[in-house]
Amino acid sequence: MFAKTNIAVIAAVGLTQFSSFAFAETTLNVASAGSQNMVDYVKTYLAPKFEATHPGVKVNVVGTGPGDAGSHKIMEKLSAQNDSGLAKWDIDVAVVHQKIGGEMVEDGLLSKYRSEVKTGDMVSRDSAKNALGINVDGYVMPMFHSQTAIAYNSDFVENPPTSYDELVQWTKKHPKAFGYNGIKNGMSGVSFVTGWIYAYGTDAERLSSAPYDKSVESTWNKAFSELKEFNKNITFTPGNAGTLDMLNRGEIFMGPVWVDMFYSWKEQGKIPPSLKLSLIAPGMPGQPMYYVAPAKAAHPQLAREFIELATSPEVQANGIVKQFNWYPGIDANYVEAKLDKATWEKLFAEITPSDLSKYGKSFPIGPYFDDIKEGYERNVSN
Amino acid sequence: MCWLLEVNMRQTTSPNLLKHRLWLIVPAALMVGIFFLYPLGFSLYSAITLDDGGFTLSHLNKAFDLYSKDILFTIIIVLVSVAILAVLSITIAALITLSPFRSLTKTLGFLYRLPLFIPFIVTAQMMRTFLAKNGLMNNAFVASGLLTPMDTVSFLGWSGIIITFVWKQLAFSTLLISGAMAALDESQIRAARNLGASRLSILFQIILPQITSTLGVAMVLSIVTMMSVLSVPLMIGTGSPTMMTADMAFRINSYGDYHVANALGLVSYCICAGLAWFYLRQNLKEKGAN
Repeated sequence: MFAKTNIAVIAAVGLTQFSSFAFAETTLNVASAGSQNMVDYVKTYLAPKFEATHPGVKVNVVGTGPGDAGSHKIMEKLSAQNDSGLAKWDIDVAVVHQKIGGEMVEDGLLSKYRSEVKTGDMVSRDSAKNALGINVDGYVMPMFHSQTAIAYNSDFVENPPTSYDELVQWTKKHPKAFGYNGIKNGMSGVSFVTGWIYAYGTDAERLSSAPYDKSVESTWNKAFSELKEFNKNITFTPGNAGTLDMLNRGEIFMGPVWVDMFYSWKEQGKIPPSLKLSLIAPGMPGQPMYYVAPAKAAHPQLAREFIELATSPEVQANGIVKQFNWYPGIDANYVEAKLDKATWEKLFAEITPSDLSKYGKSFPIGPYFDDIKEGYERNVSN
Repeated sequence: MCWLLEVNMRQTTSPNLLKHRLWLIVPAALMVGIFFLYPLGFSLYSAITLDDGGFTLSHLNKAFDLYSKDILFTIIIVLVSVAILAVLSITIAALITLSPFRSLTKTLGFLYRLPLFIPFIVTAQMMRTFLAKNGLMNNAFVASGLLTPMDTVSFLGWSGIIITFVWKQLAFSTLLISGAMAALDESQIRAARNLGASRLSILFQIILPQITSTLGVAMVLSIVTMMSVLSVPLMIGTGSPTMMTADMAFRINSYGDYHVANALGLVSYCICAGLAWFYLRQNLKEKGAN
């Protein structure tokens, strides 16, 4: 009986879906790479807002999967449509990772749209112009920025380290109390190691910009051998979530984490309020997600309006900052005005905007990044 | 029945019909060929060739250069797990076969099968919360007064991987071994008992010698399974050192480098092949001796 009712309800709901399709004049296709929470954000937050102000337009959101692999799928689809000489491509707006965003610009798959949207001049971050060494100025708008930092338990650590040097001293005094996940179990560990190379190998500015020079790698031997020594005083954790789990259970008192994940877990009560964040000198990497518009999108004007909405101060404030705990993609000053003080302070309570601009680095360009990871495998873990 | 068999045999000998019969295995052979042999051959080929198709050992060199410690770690983990597995599954199977307490053995017979229905990834997640320093197991010890919170240690790491492997594979190997024990002629055990043999000597002198080949099969299959699990080292291991499957995944996800990942695959294939060869040789020797 219930099953029958359910089927009827589902069928009815299905019909309404179809009918709305039938009445909609236009469908705007939005493809989003990234984890499920990002797809949810576009689907449940942005799309309804856009549809409300654009009657007759239906937003169709497709998630392509987490990590660079998800962005890669979008790039493959667009370049296939480009190669086959289609006049109109079936993705109007895409959300992609920094590395792939740069590659898409190089392959000529994107349109230079930023000067055509009203929010275009609200962007202040360097990552809007430079994607790991590739000039993307005008082709991308940052959706949000994600950052890694050191989380610590303030009940036990009163004076958290403010630099890699202090952290090394701290781990000598408190063996096994610092934990990270190596480089094979998630990006927070990779990020920590990258920061280590920025601190003791080559500075971030050099490694984050072209040209690539193979010989730079040979100067990192000392940094790696010190890291090997450092690793003896720490605990290895099983993954990004593993570090937070161990912090939560009080098995470690400090470890590198993604800031947005940290705040989300805190809000859900999965980690205690005594956990705090510190972004240490000379800096740790983070990365943006980009809104891009394919060169031959079927609905270029609607695509620009969609991105304009997504990067407007209101949406950046209530969606990106308030609901999802990400750092805003546009200049923070525009966003702050739209938020109540408490929400704003929550996001910047532990890592101040000045810390963020001083110590928030980008990842190195591709070849240097591979050198760091392989150097770690060769000199530290083997 | 006899008549049918005869007809069958006559049919098999007819060459024309034999040809037709061969067609019957084509679907299965194609499946094996396309979905197993082709990818296997391709990955072996990719492990020893450059992008332009030239032969090279550089991928294998790199695999050993970067991951020799992990290869050794994998072998040790698998061998230790399989040794513990053998002892535990023989013990459980022997208890079920020889114990005089029938209701107890029935419960045991039900309990040991449970892990059979739980996937590796679920086992790994379960162990992750169970074995952690402040996890369920240690908390239970602390609550019962056996340990103080300062004495607890985390089992997440190499020991956790071994515990998870043994826990998960125990059901499978016990199932095979207790099956083999149950298939033995009951009268042998009774005869030995009548002659005054203890249960332990019945196990070691009557039962075990007759089930070594089943034991071998269970262990070799468990080794191959353990060599191929990715979720357990990723979720329970700490990455330094880690098992070869995690390295392969890292090679592909992080560098898009299929050559070295395949070279690692070749190494793990050789390890399994080595064990299989050892097992087959033992098996043949026994048959030859008989």
